[in-house]
Amino acid sequence: MSTFEKLRYAIAQTLEVPPEAIAATSSAGDIAGWDSLGHVNLMISIEQTFDVQLDVEDFPKLTSVPAILEYLKSKGIA
Amino acid sequence: MQLNSDALGAWLEVQSRPDLSQTILDSRAALTLPQVKQLTARMDVLEVPEHTLRIGIVHTYTSDLLDPWLRFELALQGMNCDLYHAPYGVLLQEAQPGAGLVRHDPDLTVLLLQREDLHPYFRQPLSALGSDDQVELLQQSLENLVNLVARFREPVGGLLLVTLLPRMSGPGLGLFDSHSDRSEAVWWAQFKSRLAARLRTDVKSSLFLDLDEMLAECGRARFFDHRLWYSSAFPFAPEAARELSRRIAALGAVTKYPKIKVIALDADNTLWGGVIGEDGIHGIALGPDYPGNAYVAFQRRLLDFQQRGFVLALCSKNNPTDLDQVLDEHPHQVLRSQHFAARRVNWEPKPRNLVSLAEELNLGLSSFVFVDDSDHECAAVRHQLPQVQVVQVPRRPVDLAACLDRVARLEILSLTAEDRTKTELYAEERRRREQLAAVSSGGGDLEEYLRSLQMRMKVSFDDSTQLPRLAQLTQKTNQFNLTTRRYAERQIQDFIESHDYLVAHFSLADTFGDSGVVGLAILRRLADSIAEIDTFLMSCRVIGRRAETTFLETVLERLASEGITRVVADYLPTSKNGPASGFLAESGFERAQGGRFARSLTQSPPWFGRPAPISVEQATAEPAR
Repeated sequence: MSTFEKLRYAIAQTLEVPPEAIAATSSAGDIAGWDSLGHVNLMISIEQTFDVQLDVEDFPKLTSVPAILEYLKSKGIA
Repeated sequence: MQLNSDALGAWLEVQSRPDLSQTILDSRAALTLPQVKQLTARMDVLEVPEHTLRIGIVHTYTSDLLDPWLRFELALQGMNCDLYHAPYGVLLQEAQPGAGLVRHDPDLTVLLLQREDLHPYFRQPLSALGSDDQVELLQQSLENLVNLVARFREPVGGLLLVTLLPRMSGPGLGLFDSHSDRSEAVWWAQFKSRLAARLRTDVKSSLFLDLDEMLAECGRARFFDHRLWYSSAFPFAPEAARELSRRIAALGAVTKYPKIKVIALDADNTLWGGVIGEDGIHGIALGPDYPGNAYVAFQRRLLDFQQRGFVLALCSKNNPTDLDQVLDEHPHQVLRSQHFAARRVNWEPKPRNLVSLAEELNLGLSSFVFVDDSDHECAAVRHQLPQVQVVQVPRRPVDLAACLDRVARLEILSLTAEDRTKTELYAEERRRREQLAAVSSGGGDLEEYLRSLQMRMKVSFDDSTQLPRLAQLTQKTNQFNLTTRRYAERQIQDFIESHDYLVAHFSLADTFGDSGVVGLAILRRLADSIAEIDTFLMSCRVIGRRAETTFLETVLERLASEGITRVVADYLPTSKNGPASGFLAESGFERAQGGRFARSLTQSPPWFGRPAPISVEQATAEPAR
C-alpha cells in the first residue's frame, strides 16, 4: 500500500466514509465527519498507522490530505 | 505489537461473529483506531447483537473520544451500544426529572469525575495540610461525593459506576511521599476504602471502579496522553481508552448475560503440564521450577475465582485413580479434592460430561465456563453446547495464570458470605456421595455408610442465641415438616421462656463438615404426663442421614426425664411435606383419636433400646435471670 492508500484507509475508517470519497486533494471541508471530534480521532489514527508522534501544534495544520502527506514526507514517510 | 494488515485481512475473512470476537479477544496485538472501527463494523455486518447496553456518561472531562473504543469493546461482548453523553461538566442537573440522562434510562451510568470535583481544596497541595486537616478534607470529600452519587440513585435505574481520574503526575512529595506523615498516596488509599464502604451501605447498585488499578496495569506513561489532555481535556492515551472501555463492557456483560456459577476445568495440560496417564505423578510439570511453577500459579489464581463465588468442577478424560493420586498425593498440587464441587473424570465426551455436571449441580449450562487446552475439546463444546462459554488455555505456560482475568462474565458486582463457602457445601455433599458409593461397592449397607460418616449431633434446649435461624427454619422448611407452622422470632422467644413449652434444635457434623442449625422441635406440655409435638422439622440439607430419628429420640428422652409418659403428634399434609408423611408411624407412634398420632413412652421408650448411628451431645441454655 502506498502512503496515500494507507492514509485513505485511516481516514475512511476513522470518519466512517467510503474510501472513494477521499481524493489526494481532499480537505476537512470536503469530508463529512471531519469535524473537531473527528479531527482528534484522525490525529490518533495517523499516529498509530504511521508510528509517528504529532505535536499539539501540528494538529491544526493537518486538516487536508496534501498537508498530512507533506507532513509524513517531512518525517521520512513517503 | 501492532496487528499487521495481513493478519487483519485474515480476521476480516472470518465468517461468524462469535468466532471473530473470540479471535480478537484471544489476540495480544495492539489495534489502531482505524482497525478498531473496521472490526466493529465487520462484527455488526456478520450478525446483529441480541443485547443492547444503554450507557449514560456524566463527566467533568471530555468523554466522547471514548466512543469508538467503547463501541468496539461492547461489540466484542456481543452488545450494541446506545450511548448518551451528558453535557460537559453538568452533574446534578442530569439527576433531575426530565434530564437527558434520566430520559436515556441507562443500564449503566458512568460517572467520570476528577479530584477537583470532590473538594475545591484540591487545587492546592495536599501535603500543605497537617494530619487533622487532612482528616477533615477526607470527611468533607467523602460526604460531597457520596451525596452526589446518591442523588443519581433515585432518578436513574441500573448500575452506577463511580470513577475518579488519577492524578496525572506522581505525588507532591515525590519519592519521599510514601515515607511522609502527609503522604498523598496514603490519603488517597484511605479515601478510596472509605468511599467503597459508604457506597456499599448507602447507594445500592453502585460500584467504585478504581482507575488506579487500571493505571497500574497500563503504566502512567501509556495511560495519560498529555497532548490530548491539554488540547482537548481528554486524559486517556488510546491504550487506556480501550482498557477503560473493556472494563465498562465487562460490567455491562455481567448485568446483561446469565450469571456464571461454575468453572469446569480440564486437568492434563491445564492444571499441570503433561499427561498424568502417560507421564505419571512424578513426570507431570507441577512444582517450584518452570514450567511447573506456571501451573501452580494458575491453580492459585483459580482459588481467587473461587473466592468470587464461582465453584470449581473437574471435567477430565483420565483414569479416576490417576487423577486422585495427583489431587491427594502430589506435593505441589494446590487444588485438592475439597476444592471441587463436582467432577467428571472418565472417557465420556466432554459435552456429555458438562450436561451431567449441570444436572448434578442443578444449574443451567449457560452458567458454565469450560477451560481446556485441546482444540478438539474446545471445538466440540463450542459446537454442541453453544451456551457454555469456552476458554482455551494459552499455549505458553507463562500466560496461563492470567487466562481467565479478561473473561468479562467472571467479574462480579457483589459478594456474600454464602458465595465464599458455596464450594464447601457442594463438595461436602459430593464426598458423602462418594463415601456411600465406596461403602456400597465394598458390599456395605446404608448402616455401615452412616456409621462411617461418624456423625455428631448437638441438641440444644431452650437456647435463644439462634432465634433468627430458628424462625427462618419454620418459615422456609417445606419438605420434612410435620405441621408447617410458621413462627416469627418473637413467638419462638415466648416458647423458650414459657414453662409449658420445650424448644429443641440441632446441628449435625460429620467427617465432611458441619451443617449448622438444621432441625427444630417445639413441644408443649398438655398435662403433667402428656406432651404434644407442635412443630418438628428438619432442613432438606440433612435428609437421608437418620438425623430425624436421633433428634426425636433425644427430645423424647428429655421429656421422659421430666415425667412425660405419652406424646401426641400430628402430621398435617401439605403439597410439599410428603417426605415426612411416614415418619410418625415409623417412630413408634400409633393412630389415636381424631386422626392424631400418639406414642406411649412406657411401652415404646426412647431409643427402643437401640443405639443410634449418631453420637449426641446435649446442651441446655442457662435460664435467663
